[in-house]
Amino acid sequence: MSLSMTYEGVEKVFDPEGRNPVRALNSVSFTIEPGELFCLLGPSGCGKTTLLRCTAGLESITGGKIYYGERDVTTIPPFRRNIGMVFQSFALYPHMSVYENVAYGMRVRKVPEETIRTKVTEIMDLVGLPDVLKRNPSPTALSGGQKQRVAVARALVYDPEILLLDEPLANLDAKLRRRMRAEIRRIQKVTGITTIFVTHDQEEAMAIGDRLAVLRDGNVEQLGSSGELYHEPQNAFVANFIGKMNFFHGNVASAAGANRESPVRIGNELEIRPHSERIKLEGPLSPGQDVLVGARPENLSITNVSSAAGEAGGSGGGIVGRVNVIQNLGQITRYEVVVDDAYAIDALEVDMYAPVDGVTEGDEVAVQVNGEKALLFAPETVADTVAEEEEVS
Amino acid sequence: MAADSTRTQTESRIERLLQKDWTPYLIFALPLLFLVLFLFWPLATTVLRALSGPGFDIDLGNLSLENFNRFVTSPMYQRSLRNSFVVSVSSVVFASLIGLPMGYFVARVKMPFKNLFLSIGILPIIMPSFIGAFSWVILLGRQGIIRHFLNQIFMPFGIVIPSIYGLWGIIFAMSLTYFPFVFLLSYGAFSAANPMLEEAAMMMGARRPRIMRTITLPLVIPSLGAGAILVFIRSMGNYGIPAILGGDQYVLPTLTYFRVTGFWDLNSAAAIAMVSVAITGAALLLQKYVISRREYETVSSSRSEQHLHTHWLARLIAVAYCTLVLIVAMLPNITIIIMSFFEQWRGLFPTGFTLENYLRIPRMVSSEIFNSLFLSITASFITAVLGCMVAYITERRRPKGAVILDLAVMAPFILPGIVVSVALLSAFSGDTVLPLGGTFMIILIAFVVRRTPYVFRSVVASLTQLDETLEESSMIMGANWLYTFRRVTLPLIMSGIIAGTILTFATLLQELSTTILLYSARTRTVPVRIFSAVQDGYFGQGAALSVMLLVTVFIVVYAMNRMLGRSISSSFKLG
Ligand SMILES: Nc1ncnc2c1ncn2[C@@H]1O[C@H](COP(=O)(O)OP(=O)(O)OP(=O)(O)O)[C@@H](O)[C@H]1O
Ligand SMILES: [Mg+2]
Repeated sequence: MSLSMTYEGVEKVFDPEGRNPVRALNSVSFTIEPGELFCLLGPSGCGKTTLLRCTAGLESITGGKIYYGERDVTTIPPFRRNIGMVFQSFALYPHMSVYENVAYGMRVRKVPEETIRTKVTEIMDLVGLPDVLKRNPSPTALSGGQKQRVAVARALVYDPEILLLDEPLANLDAKLRRRMRAEIRRIQKVTGITTIFVTHDQEEAMAIGDRLAVLRDGNVEQLGSSGELYHEPQNAFVANFIGKMNFFHGNVASAAGANRESPVRIGNELEIRPHSERIKLEGPLSPGQDVLVGARPENLSITNVSSAAGEAGGSGGGIVGRVNVIQNLGQITRYEVVVDDAYAIDALEVDMYAPVDGVTEGDEVAVQVNGEKALLFAPETVADTVAEEEEVS
Repeated sequence: MAADSTRTQTESRIERLLQKDWTPYLIFALPLLFLVLFLFWPLATTVLRALSGPGFDIDLGNLSLENFNRFVTSPMYQRSLRNSFVVSVSSVVFASLIGLPMGYFVARVKMPFKNLFLSIGILPIIMPSFIGAFSWVILLGRQGIIRHFLNQIFMPFGIVIPSIYGLWGIIFAMSLTYFPFVFLLSYGAFSAANPMLEEAAMMMGARRPRIMRTITLPLVIPSLGAGAILVFIRSMGNYGIPAILGGDQYVLPTLTYFRVTGFWDLNSAAAIAMVSVAITGAALLLQKYVISRREYETVSSSRSEQHLHTHWLARLIAVAYCTLVLIVAMLPNITIIIMSFFEQWRGLFPTGFTLENYLRIPRMVSSEIFNSLFLSITASFITAVLGCMVAYITERRRPKGAVILDLAVMAPFILPGIVVSVALLSAFSGDTVLPLGGTFMIILIAFVVRRTPYVFRSVVASLTQLDETLEESSMIMGANWLYTFRRVTLPLIMSGIIAGTILTFATLLQELSTTILLYSARTRTVPVRIFSAVQDGYFGQGAALSVMLLVTVFIVVYAMNRMLGRSISSSFKLG
């Protein structure tokens, strides 16, 4: 019943003949499965909204094709596409009651009045607002969460083939946002409608999406389930964007005849041997080559410097740094450790399952890396990645 | 194979064309057609006539600058040109001298009746300038009461107060008519200027006069410039005041009128019209240039309050000044009302109380009343539709030609009424393809061309405030363009349309400078009738008609503002 959706080399250039053309989308190609809840994720200005608007037909594309199922909809205007969309601003009509807002799409389709009444009642039950419908106020009198639900109801009530959501939760406060994203997922699974959900919040995307695509500068950087993106990021950008990633400067140990099994050193203190699948660099490694080592907080550990000195050589010593902040987050304890610029790009974040004895803020500690779980990336991407992250926050 | 692929290509091209929503394009074409036919074409013929030598014929084979030469050779032309300059520049100066202090006082001094003073802003809308001029004749004319009174005092000292007729009279009446523009714009700037800038200067140890000179005044210069240019353009194009008060002094609009009605020399009138357009255009460019070089922060970003002067002396001066200005500005209205109940007013007091002036109205001017209502209402409707279309197109669709459409719609804003009339006569009077001379049609067209900017601006303002996603979501839900416009856009911009249309209606009821060249015995309007009553010396009758007009306009504007819940002075901003 629900449709798949395919992008085939979709390109969008704003103002192509003008003096400063903007390439917002760059040969985007992928397929969304029928009934899937698909997330578009990326930093501000990466082209998420543009891709969504092109999908809806609100923006014409300058290259490529878009299919709903088998149907090529590239040049079909939005009102002939049978889709539903929830805007960030909700776009509820202030001059109509809630009922009229929800009924709008069916009125356009000249659905008989009784059918409209039953369908509006049904959908308002589904989004959990039967009381609001009874009062039937103007949407301006609703709370943020209620508006959001009405907008979802309005977009779903006429059985569209595809549902598009552009940062639908951005206008809500943090707590409500959490509740509503579970709610949206529930409603989407009940209706089984193929859905695209745009957000710049990676936590939200990972929580809600069956699969997600990470966009950067109009390119799809990686596409997959949240687990795949978290554990197998294709490059430093994705690694940094999905969850926290610590980056170290490393280089390939200069043993003769370096290959993908060669150890990588971080400074003189650490030597790691990442799994060959976790090396995200093209081609063979050469001796002395600079690489970027990535490790998740849970793949780092710290030891008290004094005890580390005691069992010298036990774990290769580790990089010495100073604990800046300790956050006790319940099942884990998070240490922020500042190390010398020569080792790492930023302060390190280390998650330990139990507090380390005798370490308090301001103490010196040694940081170790679980070499098996570390990732290797090309070093060029570092500057970019970090700069963009700063822009986002 | 190749042929096959081209065929499918054409097929998909055709399919694409069929699937497109064509309504917006039609809506683009309609106003464009109107503007081409009734603005571009007339302006083009005006240029041709101006270059064709004196007379009434367009002679393409024999173009010359003879008509323009008169500005060099004819003393009358030279004097008119000089008078126009003197009048406009002086009006700007005096209007600023009256309006700027008042703007400062009302914005920055703690005082009562602020709203009353602000409502002066409505005067240029409800009080046609020629009626103002008329009442100054009653007050300061040859037998004017004030002049009469003052002369009785000063005569023994050998001082004779001159009558209002002549250049100074024109300047006097113009300044008092147009100072509210400067007043309201500078009031806006003074109350919006970020007080922190002044506070910062005070912290640095600057004294008040210095702050005034170096911080406050520069901040309001853009608004003052906008007000000045408005006054300049209005006084350059004003026909009524110099026609009533000019005596033997001509200005460009009265000279144009004189060339057409006195000599039926449309071609030289066209040349004069072009010269006045060139002057207003140049003034506008100058202002743009000056303003764009001074980009000031005029809107306060913080919520911090203005420091109001509270010293008793400042308050006293401010209230006294504003009250004086208010009284002088209201004097013409009061005079007209009193006059309308009397036969004559030659001495200090009017004589011969009567209601005859009013009772005669239904009998004598019923056709004029009908004409005025018919023309204003019809034109307002057409203007509403047209202005709405162009506003929508330029604001929402932004096609490649949008800038031209935008400019074309706004152009009549700076074209004096008499220039529009000359252009329409150039194209449609006498023996042309579309002979419209003396018809209702030609007046209607003139009204629509001149007033579309009002509705246009008002609707553009509402559209920019209307979130575009409201319309997009309608499209997404399956509504085509027309359905979306009807059910979403239109209801949400309705108040902007109504405001613009009613204001248009109100100003059209009093329109004189456009009609004066275009009316015929059949199409005469109330303002034309008032004008001729004044010129023929039937003051009582003219006054009664004026009062009727003022009251009607006031009620219309007041009702609109009540209905839309706005303050009266805010409707001024559309002018
Ligand atoms: N109408 C437009 N004209 C020109 N450039 C545009 C237009 N709309 C978007 N862009 C550009 O296209 C790029 C992508 O914009 P888009 O709105 O899709 O970003 P986004 O990923 O939705 O960002 P955000 O998270 O801030 O909403 C940006 O560089 C933006 O400046
Ligand atoms: Mg966006």
